[in-house]
Amino acid sequence: MLDASPLPLVRVRDLKMHFPIYAGLLRRRAGEVKAVDGVSFDIMPGETLGLVGESGCGKSTVGRALLRLYTPTAGSVVIDGEDVATLSPEALRKKRPTMQMVFQDPQASLNPRMTLAAIISEPLDEHTDWSGERKLDRVHELMDQVGLNRAFANRYPHEFSGGQRQRIGIARALALNPKFIVCDEPIAALDVSIQAQVVNLLEDLQERLGLTYLFISHDLSMVRHIADRVAVMYLGQIAELSPRDDLYARPLHPYAQALLSAVPEPDPVREATRKRIILTGDVPSPANPPAGCNFCTRCPKVFDRCRVEEPRLAEVEAGRFVACHLYGDTNKTAG
Amino acid sequence: MKLKTLLLGAAAAFALAPAAHAERGTDGEVKLTFPQAVSIMNPYLTGGTKDIYAASMVLEPLAGLTPEGVLIPKLVTEIPTKENGGISEDMTSITWKLLPDLKWSDGTAVTADDAVFTWQYCTDPAGGCSQATKYEGVASVEAVDASTIKVTFSGPKANPYTAFVSALAPLLQKKQFEACLGAAAPTCTDANNMPVGTGPFMVTGFTVNDTVQMAANPNYRDPAKPAFATAVIKGGGDAEGSARAVMETGEFDYAWNTQIPPETQESMKAAGKGEFVVAFGTLVERIEMNTTDPDPALPEGERATAKHPHPILSDIKVRTALSKAIDRSILVEVGYGAGGKPTCNVIPGPEGWASDNEGCIAQDMEGAKALLDEAGWKDSDGDGIRDKDGKKLHILYQTTVNPIRQDFQALIKDWWTELGVDVELKAIDPGVFFGGDPGSPDTFQKFYADVEMYANNSESPDPESYLGQYQCKNAPSPETQWQGENINRFCTPEYDALYATLATTTDIAARQEIAKKLNDMVTKDSMIVVPLVHRGTLSAHSNSLGGVQINAWDSEMWNAADWFRVK
Amino acid sequence: MLTFTLRRLLLAIPILLVISLVIFLLVDLAPGSPMAEIPLTVPPDVRQKMIEALGADQPVFVRYLLWLKQFFWIEPMTLYDGWFGTSIVEGQQRILSWQSRSPVFTIIGQRLPQTLIVVGTAYLVGIMIALPIGIYSAYRQYSFFDQVGTLFAMIGFSVPTFFSGTLLIIIFAVWLGWFPTKYDTMLEVTDWQSFLQQVKQMALPVMTLGLANAATISRYMRSSMLDNMTMDYVRTARAKGMDEKVVVLRHVLRNSLIPVVTVIALGIPSIFGGAIITENLFGVNGIGAALIGAIHANDLPMVQTLAFIFAVLIVLFNLIADILYGLLDPRIRYD
Repeated sequence: MLDASPLPLVRVRDLKMHFPIYAGLLRRRAGEVKAVDGVSFDIMPGETLGLVGESGCGKSTVGRALLRLYTPTAGSVVIDGEDVATLSPEALRKKRPTMQMVFQDPQASLNPRMTLAAIISEPLDEHTDWSGERKLDRVHELMDQVGLNRAFANRYPHEFSGGQRQRIGIARALALNPKFIVCDEPIAALDVSIQAQVVNLLEDLQERLGLTYLFISHDLSMVRHIADRVAVMYLGQIAELSPRDDLYARPLHPYAQALLSAVPEPDPVREATRKRIILTGDVPSPANPPAGCNFCTRCPKVFDRCRVEEPRLAEVEAGRFVACHLYGDTNKTAG
Repeated sequence: MKLKTLLLGAAAAFALAPAAHAERGTDGEVKLTFPQAVSIMNPYLTGGTKDIYAASMVLEPLAGLTPEGVLIPKLVTEIPTKENGGISEDMTSITWKLLPDLKWSDGTAVTADDAVFTWQYCTDPAGGCSQATKYEGVASVEAVDASTIKVTFSGPKANPYTAFVSALAPLLQKKQFEACLGAAAPTCTDANNMPVGTGPFMVTGFTVNDTVQMAANPNYRDPAKPAFATAVIKGGGDAEGSARAVMETGEFDYAWNTQIPPETQESMKAAGKGEFVVAFGTLVERIEMNTTDPDPALPEGERATAKHPHPILSDIKVRTALSKAIDRSILVEVGYGAGGKPTCNVIPGPEGWASDNEGCIAQDMEGAKALLDEAGWKDSDGDGIRDKDGKKLHILYQTTVNPIRQDFQALIKDWWTELGVDVELKAIDPGVFFGGDPGSPDTFQKFYADVEMYANNSESPDPESYLGQYQCKNAPSPETQWQGENINRFCTPEYDALYATLATTTDIAARQEIAKKLNDMVTKDSMIVVPLVHRGTLSAHSNSLGGVQINAWDSEMWNAADWFRVK
Repeated sequence: MLTFTLRRLLLAIPILLVISLVIFLLVDLAPGSPMAEIPLTVPPDVRQKMIEALGADQPVFVRYLLWLKQFFWIEPMTLYDGWFGTSIVEGQQRILSWQSRSPVFTIIGQRLPQTLIVVGTAYLVGIMIALPIGIYSAYRQYSFFDQVGTLFAMIGFSVPTFFSGTLLIIIFAVWLGWFPTKYDTMLEVTDWQSFLQQVKQMALPVMTLGLANAATISRYMRSSMLDNMTMDYVRTARAKGMDEKVVVLRHVLRNSLIPVVTVIALGIPSIFGGAIITENLFGVNGIGAALIGAIHANDLPMVQTLAFIFAVLIVLFNLIADILYGLLDPRIRYD
């Protein structure tokens, strides 16, 4: 599938993000948290890739590592032809305009001591040599785009509602005409009534500006609404990566099955027959993941091989990649 | 010693004053530092030695005292005596003759009126004059003529050299202080801080509790003096800092009252920039024995009064034993070094007035134990504490909060414990202990303890008023609002009778004999007062300051006019 | 903001009156007597006369009311008379120190300059040392520099000024002979020579106090920086592609300074209060030395007046700190 398509905008290969743990009197390195442990995927231009999983599965870390807000431990992240993971700090800064992020908590992610105009125009100060007037025009334009009243330009973030703040966050991300935006749970902190507005805004902007999204969320219904393809993460690794409709209709990976069984069905007939798969046990610590398959400690369909050999992400159906020993041996790996 | 020899001594002291310099104001600035800053330059409104000493560079009395305790004329032609007719035959008046052409630093003439005014100033009942005792018994002061001052006493006065004598009772300028009589005295801030005087220096700048700036007095009676053009007294800090500024960094020429531990004295001497000098006056660190019962079980108003004699310390054998157990030399070594000497006297000086009593110097632990045995205090239950009639030999020993005193308490407690005495120590804030508040149980006058330790001294070389403390009538009691200097409530008719003869005896030698007897009566004969250390005032001066003659009887700056820069 | 300030000021009046009464009673009830420093050779009747001359034998409420009148009417009017040449309160008794018989306010006027110069400079020096240390320590948390900074702060905290001061005297005055140990309050700066002398004599007390001040403030700065470093808006700023210097200085530092500035403002009354131990040690003879001297001598009018002025300053600077907070942090509004 990938070979046939145009060049992907984002190409992630074997991304690893390990955080060291220091312990003891002298704070020696005692181990590491494998927040992301070998993740690979591509995102096509104009596409929205959904990234779902439980809290702590490493999905936010993937988003941050992609934009080099964390320096990855290993792997490559090629965005628009350049490997972000290894760029020099100065080159990275130059690269920043192409890739932006919308954060989960719109309150915390906006500097409380800067006005809306200052927040939005700050990246312009840094990356352009525009005149003040032109920058103000751009600020107003962006505010129009995200549906904020221009009169609010000189207000401070705390004077806005949650939804408005997230619009500011989006306008800020758009300021430099990025190609790729990581939306890190952009709606999780918002009221349900506002969530739809923001998601619609994001879709609308994507259509108008031709943006590419990595949409990180634990809200499976919202992902279903916005994403073209969806990656399901478990304990730092991708369990399944499938086109949206396929995944929601027939998840392949046992974890994806369990996860999706929790999504309520809008159709009351199907909802009545929906069977929830309840997983037992806790998620293992990412500092000390189990041998073999990551999911083997909780998997309802676990068998001996799972505890010994780590499954690799492989294409088992057209466009569907699964990391599970249930789906036979295929040597065609993702990518 | 006859007065005549005294006078000769005075003349000799004057002759000894170095004559290395020839001109006034050629030696630049002399810098002094006091650990306690100067608050006021008027000695009549302060009790602080720091203030009196600073003022002595500016204000002068008619007569002063030499380091030997001998009277010398300052503003007068000679010391009045019976021989020269200055003192009336019946000892009821003394007449002083001012030096001719004597001028205040502002150029106006010093007259007898100034002396009359000074007397009025200090005796005004609303003025709160702190040197009122200096004018006690003075019936009148008259200006016979412009330069003759006649002081008349209300009765025969054996020691007529109190009014206008020593740095405590200098002359004030009438013109300056005229509006400051009585209740107005404290409000004359300018006059109190910058008094016009006759001394070698005059005040040019004064900041309260900080700095006194002075310049040579252009009208000083000796045209060649003082050698220094300016003088400054910087106050504040502590004794160690002051000593260091003279002995180690050399920033100052003279530091008064640098009482520091003996080992620090040694290390500072090693720097070689100056030397310590000690003025031995009459200050004696002593233990006072309570003759009355301070038992808290007694009702208030009877506790620690003559109604209840002390159950343990009323026995002279116990008091003597406690004294014998003390090694005074060790106390000196630990606490004062060069600044102290062991003593057995309440009156340790000047020579002639001090008794030759030295019986207590050597420690006698065995003798002390034997005395307690004899007194019936035996350790019958073997717990190391002596007892008698079922009562333990327990002593509450109080003093003020002060590092040296706490060292002394610890040492003495050890010795007394060895003796078989159970000692309880108590240290009280000096402000409370000496505060004299009748409402506080912790004042030294109330003496709610068995023994207490502090230092006291005679304000003049003649100890008459000092010895007067131990008269029966001076015992503090509820009736006197706990005021009174007879802390021990010592009371014997013999002492009072002998003291009465002192007040009427005029012959110096006879006075000295009586004083020695009185001294012995409260110390070795009764052991009511147990003297420990004769304390001096330790001061430091740099090697480049010449002419310093330390003086315990008058201000240490008594001869500041003679100070000069060693070149 | 204005009504808030006025309301706070009005509220302060009864508070301060109560404080003044409490201070008066405390000082009065404290054991000790103004005669405690008078030699024992002064007999009791003379002492009694001296106490009467001071007015110390009056009942406590009479003295309190007199003090109130002196403090709030005679003293301000004396100042007024001095400025305009009038004679409204001429001849009325001002607050006189028992120890020196000088007007308390004259003494304060004499002493305030050296306290402000020495303690104020030490405060400034402390701040100037503390801020860079705090900022860099937080930026490089657990680095060698941070450890050294922590050690420095611990020393500044735990070593009392009488010890550090004496140590500095021994090193710089006794051994090296660079600086004097006694502060000359009479020194007037007229030319370079006297200026140099002034700098020299300030060196030791300023070093002693500056170290202690720097220790406290650097800790505040560091922890405030650490709080802000992990905030989302800092990540936002990085994602914007801002220069690291801009991220630290504009985003982190500005927000971190808010609590630090208020801490600094709250510390200003202590400048007026002087430094009791350090002033004594170096003979600076400012307000601190005056206070301790007055306490030793049971100089009630002096202690009372100084303590009350401190109370006023503390109330005032608390208000100023609150107002500063409002000015610096747009989220806080007093209406």
